[in-house]
Formats: sequence, structure tokens, C-alpha cells
Amino acid sequence: MEWFLVTSAAVILFLQNYPLYIRSVPTENELKFHYMVHTSLDVVDEKISAMGKALVDQRELYLGLLYPTEDYKVYGYVTNSKVKFVMVVDSSNTALRDNEIRSMFRKLHNSYTDVMCNPFYNPGDRIQSRAFDGMVTSMMIQVC
Amino acid sequence: MSVPDYMQCAEDHQTLLVVVQPVGIVSEENFFKIYKRISSVSQISVRDSQRVLYIRYRHHYPPENNEWGDFQTHRKVVGLITITDCFSAKDWPQTFEKFHVQKEIYGSTLYDSRLFVFGLQGEIAEQPRTDVAFYPGYEDCGTVEKRIEDFIESLFIVLESKRLDRATDKSGDKIPLLCVPFEKKDFVGLDTDSRHYKKRCQGRMRKHVGDLCLQAGMLQDSLVHYHMSVELLRSVNDFLWLGAALEGLCSASVIYHYPGGTGGKTGARRFQGSSLPAEAANRHRPGAQEVLIDPGALTTNGINPDTSTEIGRAKNCLSPEDIIDKYKEAISYYSKYKNAGVIELEACVKAVRVLAIQKRSMEASEFLQNAVYINLRQLSEEEKIQRYSILSELYELIGFHRKSAFFKRVAAMQCVAPSISEPGWRACYKLLLETLPGYSLSLDPQDFNKGTHRGWAAVQMRLLHELVYASRRMGNPALSVRHLSFLLQTMLDFLSDQEKKDVTQSLENYTSKCPGTMELITLPDGLTLPPVPFTKLPIVRRVKLLNLPASLRPQKMKSLLGQSMSTKSPFIYSPIIAHSRGEERSRKIDFQWVQGDVCEVQLMVYNPMPFELRVENMGLLTSGVEFESLPAALSLPAESGLYPVTLVGVPQTTGTIAVNGYHTTVFGVFSDCLLDNLPGIKTSGSTVEVVPALPRLQISTSLPRSAHSLQPSSGDEISTNVSVQLYNGETQHLVVKLENIGMEPLEKLEVTSKILTTKEKLYGDFLSWKLEETLAQFPLQPGKVATFTVSIKVKLDFSCQENLLQDLSDDGISVSGFPLCSPFRQVVRPRVESKPVNPAEGSRPGDRGHAKTLEAILNFKYSGGPGHVEGYYRNLSLGLRVEVEPSVFFTRVSTLPATSTRQCHLLLDVFNSTEHELTVSARSDEELILHAGECQRMAIQVDKFNFESFPESPGEKGQFANSKELEEERQEARGLEINSKLDIHWTIPSLKRTGEASVEGLLSQLVLEHLQLAPLLWGGAQTARCRLFSGVYSRGDVDAAGAEQAGGRVVPRTEVSPDVLVDGQPCDREAAACRVGDPVRLEVRLTNRSPRSVGPFALGVVPFQDHQNGVHTYDLRHAVSFVGSGTFYLDKVRPSGQSACLGALLFLCTGDFFLRIRFHEDSSSKGLPPSWFRLPSVHVRALGAQA
Repeated sequence: MEWFLVTSAAVILFLQNYPLYIRSVPTENELKFHYMVHTSLDVVDEKISAMGKALVDQRELYLGLLYPTEDYKVYGYVTNSKVKFVMVVDSSNTALRDNEIRSMFRKLHNSYTDVMCNPFYNPGDRIQSRAFDGMVTSMMIQVC
Repeated sequence: MSVPDYMQCAEDHQTLLVVVQPVGIVSEENFFKIYKRISSVSQISVRDSQRVLYIRYRHHYPPENNEWGDFQTHRKVVGLITITDCFSAKDWPQTFEKFHVQKEIYGSTLYDSRLFVFGLQGEIAEQPRTDVAFYPGYEDCGTVEKRIEDFIESLFIVLESKRLDRATDKSGDKIPLLCVPFEKKDFVGLDTDSRHYKKRCQGRMRKHVGDLCLQAGMLQDSLVHYHMSVELLRSVNDFLWLGAALEGLCSASVIYHYPGGTGGKTGARRFQGSSLPAEAANRHRPGAQEVLIDPGALTTNGINPDTSTEIGRAKNCLSPEDIIDKYKEAISYYSKYKNAGVIELEACVKAVRVLAIQKRSMEASEFLQNAVYINLRQLSEEEKIQRYSILSELYELIGFHRKSAFFKRVAAMQCVAPSISEPGWRACYKLLLETLPGYSLSLDPQDFNKGTHRGWAAVQMRLLHELVYASRRMGNPALSVRHLSFLLQTMLDFLSDQEKKDVTQSLENYTSKCPGTMELITLPDGLTLPPVPFTKLPIVRRVKLLNLPASLRPQKMKSLLGQSMSTKSPFIYSPIIAHSRGEERSRKIDFQWVQGDVCEVQLMVYNPMPFELRVENMGLLTSGVEFESLPAALSLPAESGLYPVTLVGVPQTTGTIAVNGYHTTVFGVFSDCLLDNLPGIKTSGSTVEVVPALPRLQISTSLPRSAHSLQPSSGDEISTNVSVQLYNGETQHLVVKLENIGMEPLEKLEVTSKILTTKEKLYGDFLSWKLEETLAQFPLQPGKVATFTVSIKVKLDFSCQENLLQDLSDDGISVSGFPLCSPFRQVVRPRVESKPVNPAEGSRPGDRGHAKTLEAILNFKYSGGPGHVEGYYRNLSLGLRVEVEPSVFFTRVSTLPATSTRQCHLLLDVFNSTEHELTVSARSDEELILHAGECQRMAIQVDKFNFESFPESPGEKGQFANSKELEEERQEARGLEINSKLDIHWTIPSLKRTGEASVEGLLSQLVLEHLQLAPLLWGGAQTARCRLFSGVYSRGDVDAAGAEQAGGRVVPRTEVSPDVLVDGQPCDREAAACRVGDPVRLEVRLTNRSPRSVGPFALGVVPFQDHQNGVHTYDLRHAVSFVGSGTFYLDKVRPSGQSACLGALLFLCTGDFFLRIRFHEDSSSKGLPPSWFRLPSVHVRALGAQA
């Protein structure tokens, strides 16, 4: 049962920096991830404000590693509309390179775009889309 | 070196460390008073030089840190100032001894020391000593600053000499190896003559000189020395010292670049080995004001006026970017040595401060991240707290508020770690409060009213839980109740069902000791916790002020209303006024409450909790009027849907009342919920007017209450419904009991009735009453009862629904209400004609389903008390439902001529449609017994009626412009008269009920015609005119044939009335008597009442004899002779004109003669209906000549 130890949490944040969607595996210590992601927002904010100086069209959405902790690595991604995606992956998972993380974020972004296209979704509400859920789940399993 | 000084910053490298300590027993207050004065002298310009000396004062400094003084000279204690109390000369030697002991602690490094003695006076104090100063008291020590300046100058002299000494002794003498405490044993037995060793010694000494130069205010020299030292040390891989040299280089550059300092305000607080934040503002830094100067701006524009050094400076000084690189390098070297952990940590802190000024948060966070991982020896709990706090502060400094909050929270948790024997709950609570902004949480519930809460609920909830717990352990239950309420109120959407249960349970536990209030809680440090009203327990969705029940609603008297309006404005209506008050009006509700009456407000609430919610003491919050709120307690089922709750209260005064909100007690927490603060609430206004008190009337009747309630279209509401069952024609008295159940006397009462629209034709007065008797009992005091009697009389027409009226051609003159296809259809009353005939309905005579219902409303308008003065009244409605069952009705009405032409027989076919035997009597002379469902004919001899006696005012005529209406009106009047004449009664002996039987509805035109006195009266003197009704016709009339020819045309009613006078006497039924041989004058007078001119006419007179056996003899040439012409001529008669023609007859023999007057048919009469030209036979009795 190796892969149970391997954890990752995908979090999506909306403009005002509150979570639209949080998923974590394992679920028992979710609060830890909340803290982790919450504090990582400082870095995200900092990176965004630094990016603000760059030209808009040249902006890289992927923020890279936000900060490493002892057990996890926190990656960030921000859309042009300042929706933030934060992903926490287990540090021991060396298979995940920057490129993989980047493509995962892109997938997440596409899925998120689909959610926003739903006319019944109120921007700013918690995401409860099943399709999105499924996508995240598949991504998490893949990570594991 | 074990105790890190987290407050360190780069500028500290240029300071001289002076320790100020008390000796003996000195009160803390006094000590710090002096300490403050001492530390104000932190910057001294050394005389005759440009150099500035900076002093760092400490009142506590661990001696082991002092041992690192060679490594970084600013860590070295160079001065000691001791402060002591000494009140008698006897104690003086002892005190002085203590000073020496104190000096020993830092002895190896001290340049100089001072002792300040307070309180001692006398000869000892007189002795001039350099190292001891005497002051009489703590207040009286004006020269302290001067002394310190002198002291610092002496320090400077030592420093300068050391610097010069070290800077010059490189020339050949053996340079001693400087080393840090943990290195000492490493160098034992090392070859001191090797190049390597020498270089090491040189490098280290260079670095040391650099430090001294920096301290002595020679920034430029220090840079040079540092650079040289870095080169030397790099070549020998002396990493620890290389790091130190690099750090020195950085410090010097920072000092150069940022003269404003890097410590900033955050340096104001420090933790010096004590768990409590130690004395604030003890540190003074040169130019501590926060001037953030752009790092680039100063590189070419230094502060030093000595421009000769400019070039060298530019060369030696590090650029702001390099500073960070060098710091990084230095830290990486430090990290190689476990024992240099504190140095590394402090270097990190210093670098972070520099980066904070450079606004390079990302890099700063990396340094901090590194600092987090620096593993010092086993830290005590206090040190841990200190460390986390400082990390939090540094994160705050670089703008990482969340991270800062995170560490602050960790520090808070550390305060109460289980390993601590005396957990500092207060400190924990205080630290937790400081984390609130980092988690974007404010403790004001108002901030959460705007829509759904959006935030890091899980994290915020955790924090709130911790606050609750900490405040509870602090022993402040009010605080924990407040926090818990806040948690419940704001995080309700995020709590799981189990959590909701747990939270409410603990809240109830807390409130049992300390109920939650609506008061502001102020914390000792000035933070205020606003009250938390439970607007979500229960959630109120709609607030609606209810009008009083219809029977209690006050109504303004119209006249008074007009008056009050006219006082406001001269205009009856002005749109401008309405618009200007638009806002106010939109909130004011257009009904009134009454003082002293229970008023209701309906709330639609629901319980979001997964368990039953008990809400106690729920009442209204109002303003404007004294209001006695009657609180309610309710229990809402789990997850209830919208649930109506009615809150009641009694306004005690008059005026305008505003319902501002409601108060509740839920889980022991009192809440005042204002409507303005409730999100998503629907309200239709919350302001209503309260009018003065009015009496209350309660009515009860003698009749049973009705289950069926009337629904009048006008929107009135009926408070009481009564019903009664009556047979048609019956009269019943309804006794209404009026009771004043209010508090005010009932002074005024008006009663009106309204019959609800019914298709039934109602005869006579349905409801009648006499109010005078009741009013005599007024004013009705509270609790008193008055009675009021209403008589109910029902007279309905049941006949038309019966299909019993058959053709009655067999018995003479017959009339039926049934529209037969007869030639006289044109004369059938239009009302009858319009009635649909339903054969099925009439097929079952006596069917009880034929009962008809009459509904009426009795309105009681009453007023009294102060409300009456203000012009208000109340309206109470009594619904009355009368079920009318058919009693007897007349299936057929016909007339038979009686012996007298002034009388006739009315034949009535009476049908008993009840299930009881009944008797019918007319004018109480005849009694007819009818069994159930039986039909019998009864004949009543009646005098013919003279309807003309009814007054017919011209005004009335004008009013009923519609001739049909007018006609009906007349018909009714006639019916009434006939009815009263007939006076037919029925009695049901078994039920002991009696009533009237009415023929009104039955009397059709034909019957009426027959009941009417003949239209032509041979007594012209009696009536100047009479009406001829079209369509009246008698069998046997010779003109019948002519009349039939004109059938099918409906003619307008006309009034052409010819009169016939014989001998100037109008002919009546009585035979006119005349003498044989005398000429008899015959006058025919025509009064035209029709609207058009008629005539001229020719009238022929035909005499005949009636033998009373059906044989008429017309050949009377021998018996009667005309005097003059036998034909009369009438001129054209104008409308309402009169015309007469005269002729004479001569009877030749005695006998009974009849004269038939007939019109000659000619063109002039063609257009007129034949019925107009009907003249009765004139009966003349010729008597023998008088003997």
C-alpha cells in the first residue's frame, strides 16, 4: 500500500483568495493542507505582484514551486483572470518534474474553464461539478 | 553562544555594546527610569572628527555570548554601567564590592565601567571619582547624560587605541590567532609557523580590525579591511571567519546604503529570555525613523562630505544585490558549523531585514525559510515561543501576512504546550487575537452579513475554536461565549451536523454559567468584541406586520379624513407631495394599529440546525411608541422549512411605531437582531401608525352559527356567520346581542345591511330593524350588553321554476307565466320572457332541492373612546344566510268575472310544496287544507283595484327614464297592493309555523288587467282619464277579430280614453234610465293620453237588445230612432287633448237597450291598434212615459 502515503492536494482559489475547491488525499488531515495552501498564498501574491511588471501577453501562468516544506512541495499557477491554482505534492514523489506539474495545471485550467462555461454556475461559488471532481480524482490517482 | 538575539540587524555591527545593570536591590521602576535616560545617549559625535559612535545598551546579556566578542566585536561587552541604591555610608563598601563582582563577569572584554549610586550623601559622595557617580535620588540626577557621554568618550579612546594597535602591529610581530570558543581545542598542537596558519591569523585579525574600524565610525577603512580579510580567509578555507568577514562587509555596505537603518519599528519589541514581551522601546537606533530610501539612490551620493574617499568607497562598497549574495554566501559558510547556529540565524534575520527594505520579499522568504530550519540546541519552550513570534514578525515585515499569522498561531500554541507546567493562556489568547488579520477574520459579525461567507472557513473555524478554548482556560467565560456565538453565527454554513451539535452543546454549557449578552466586550489591550446576534438561529426570511382582523380594523370617518387632508394641502391631489415623501411612504404601511389592542407581526423563520431549535423570549424590538412586547417561546423542528411565527405586543401609546427587529434567546445567548442587518430579508415596510384606543364589540345572535361563510366580493371580512332556514313567506326575528368587550365605552353605532347579489327576485323588505331601542342603551360601558332585533322576512317567487303552468284555455280567461306561443306574446312581460325555462327543474314538484338561499351582511359601525374623538370607527360584519324553502305557491292564477263588474274572482291554484300538511287562508275567512304536494284551487272574490290612486310624481318619472324599469316599479307597487288586499296566509300546524303567501310574482299583465277596474269608466266625472292597456281583451267582444288581426305587433302603451256620457251622466254598469219619447243625449268624450295625435274618427252607434239567452236583436228600427245623425264625428285629438261629440237618441218603446259604439273603419284609424277603440256597451233602460 505504498501509494497511500503519497499525497497531493489540488486547490483552486478565486480572486479574493478564498477556496473554490479543495481536494486532498488523504482526507484525514485536511486542515494541514488548508494551512499549507493558505500560507502559500503569500508567495503567490508576491509572485503575481512581481509579474505585474511584465507584459501581459508574455506572462507565464505557471508560477513554479512556491515553497518546499519538509514533506511537500507546493506549486502554483495563476490564470490571467487571477484565479489561482495551488497544488501540493509529496516531496518524495520524484517522478513529478516541473513539466508534469505544468501539464497538470494546464489540465486543471481547462477543466476549470469548462466549469465556468456552465451557465448555471455562479462565479465565486464553490465548485461542485462532477466532471471537475472526476478530473481531479483522475489526476490525483495519476500523481499517486 | 546559545541565545540568539532575534532583534539583531546589520547596523548593530557598528555599535558598542554597553550593559546597564542594577546591583543590589533597585526597584524595576527606578532602574528603567535611569536606563531610559542612559539609553537616550546612543549616538555620540566624537570631538574633532567626523566620526560618529553608536552605542547599544543592554540590561541583560548572557556572558557566554560575550565570549564570541573576538569573532564579532559588537558582541563584546565593552562598557558596564551599574546602578545601585545606597542610603548609608555604612553600606557603601559592600555596594562597591558588588560593583566589582559585576565587573568580573564581563571583565575580560570591558573597556571601562561606571557605577551610579543613588541615595548616598555625605563625605563619600564628596570624593571625586571617575568611575563612580553619586546622585541624591532618581529624580535628581540631571548630569546622567553628561556622565554617559564622558563614559562613551572614554570608551572611544580605548577603542581607538585598540584599533590603531591592531591595525599597525601587522608589520612583523606574530599575530595572535583569534578564535571562537568552540574552536579553541581544534588548534591545539597546530603548527603555528605554517603559512597557512599565518594567513589564517592575518585574515582573522584583518576581520577583527575591520570590526573595530566599523565600530569606531571608519566605514571606509572597515570595508577595505573586510575585503582583504575575505581574500585571505578564502585562500585558507577558514569558512567560519570567512563568513564573518563577508557578513562584516555586508553590514558595512548596508550601513552605507541605508542610513535610515534596517531594524525599523519592528525592532521595538524584544524578547530577552523572558516569556513576556520585554520592555518595549528600550532600544534606540540612530535615525530610527522609517525612511526607506531607494537602494540605488545613495550609491553615488553618500552622506560623508569627504569626497576624497568617494572613489574608494564606490569600489569597496557592495551593491545592494551583492549584499544579498554575500549574505547568502556567509550563511552557507556558517551553516557548516553546528555551533555557529546562532550566528547563522542572526545573519538570516539581518539579511531578511535588509531584503525587507529592498522589498524583495521572495528572497527574504527564502532566508526565513532557511532560518526556520536552523536547528539550535534543544530550545526551551520560552525560546520556541520567542522564535516563532519573531518569525511571525519577520514574515509580517516582508508582507507575508498569512505566513506571519501561521507562525503566530504556532507561537500561541507553544504558549500552552502540554510540556509547560503553567500554560500561558493569556499570552496564547493574545497571540491568537493577533493572528486574526492574517486569516482575514474580523470579530465583528457585521462583516459577515454581506452575502455568503467566503474565506478559509476550515482554518478560520479552527482559529475560533482555539480562541474559545483559550478564553475559557483564561477564566473568562463571557469571552468564550462571545467567540463561540461568533463561530456559530458566522460559520454555520461550514459546520457539519455533528459539529453544530457539539458547538451548541458547549455553548449551552458555557451560557449556563454566563449568559451571552448584547454588550460590547472590551479586552484589556483595547480590542472590542462587538455583540453577536444570532440572526441565523433561526433564519428570518420575511417580516410582515399584520393588519388587525377586519372586525377590529380602525377606519377613518370620511368627513374627518377630508378635513385632515385639507389641512395638509389646499389641493385635493398633488403628485409633488406624494413624490417628495416617496421614501418615507414606501416603508410606512397603510393600515393602523390601535392602542391597547394586540398587534401582530408575522415572521417566516426556519431552523437551519439538524436538531430541534428552542427559541425563547422571542419578542419585537420597536421604537416610536411605548410597546409592550409579549415574548413568545417556540420550538422549531430540525431543518424546518419556512415556519410562520407570530410575535405579538400591545402598543401603549399612540404615534408611529417602527418595528426595528426582534430579540431572541437561543442557547442562553441573548440576541437583538435588527432588520437592517439581516441579509436577504423581505419586508413590506416596518412602520405603522397607532391610533387611539377604540371599544371592541362582540356580537352573538339567537341563531346558530353557520359553517358556511360568506365571501362578499367587496372584500369585507365577516366575523360571524349565522344561518337560518325559513319557509317562503315566513318572518323571523333575529336577536343580536352586542357586548362591549373592550376597555372603552361604546358611544356610537350604525347598522346597515347589504344583500348579496342574488338572481332571485325578492319581494318586500328582507331585513328590517329599529335601531332606536338599542341606541337608548348607549353609551355601552365595557362589559355591558345591549340587544338589537332584526326581523327577517322572506318572500321569494318560487312559481317560475315550476313547469306546472299549463295551457288553461278550458276555464275562461286564463293567464300563465309560461310564454305560450300565442298571438298575445307581445304583451307578455319581458322579465318573464327572459327567464330561461328548464323543464327538468320543474318536473318534481315539492323537491326540497328547490330551496333558495339568501345572503346578507349586517354591518355594525361603532366607535367610542379616544378613537372616536380622532374620528375612527370600527366595522363589524354579521353574515346572515337564509335558506328559503318553498312553502306554498300558486301554480296558476286566473280571474273570473264576478257578478259585479267592480269585483271579480281570483282563482289561485295553490300548491303545497312542503312535506307537511298546511292550511291556507285568505283574509281569514277561508281555510284550505293542503296535504304535502297537493295542489288545489281556491277562489277569492276581490274588489277590482283602482291602481290610478297611486301617486305618480313627475320626478319619479324622470328618474326612471327607462320605461321598462318604470313599468316594473309600477307592477311591483300593484302587486304589493293586491297582496295586502288578499292577505293570504299559510300555517303548518305540525311545525307551528306561519307565513304569508304572496301572489306578487305571479301577477302578470293579463291578470292585472282583469283585476283592474275596467279602463273605461262610464263615470267620466269620477276619473278624468283612465288608462287603456294594450292587450286587454274580453272574450265575446266583437272587436276581438280585429284585435287578432293586429297580433304580433308590440305596441307602445297608449292612453286613449274615450268616455261615453248619456244625458250628461257617465254610464256605469248601472243602466242609464230614460223616458220613452224623450231624446237621450249621448256624449262620447275622448281624452288622448297617447303621445300622438289621433283621429279624426267616425263612431257609429248600434243599438241592440240582449235577450239574455245569447240572442241579440239588432233590428230595432221601430224601437229606437236617432235624432240627427247616427254617426258621431270626433275631430283630431292632440296629445293630452280632449274631444267630445254629441248626438241624441229617441227610444220609442220601453225596454232594455244596449248601445254598441263602434268605430267606422277608415284610413285614420288604420294605424292604431284596435284595442284602443273599444267602447263598452251602454245600457239604457227606456222607461215608460210618466203618467
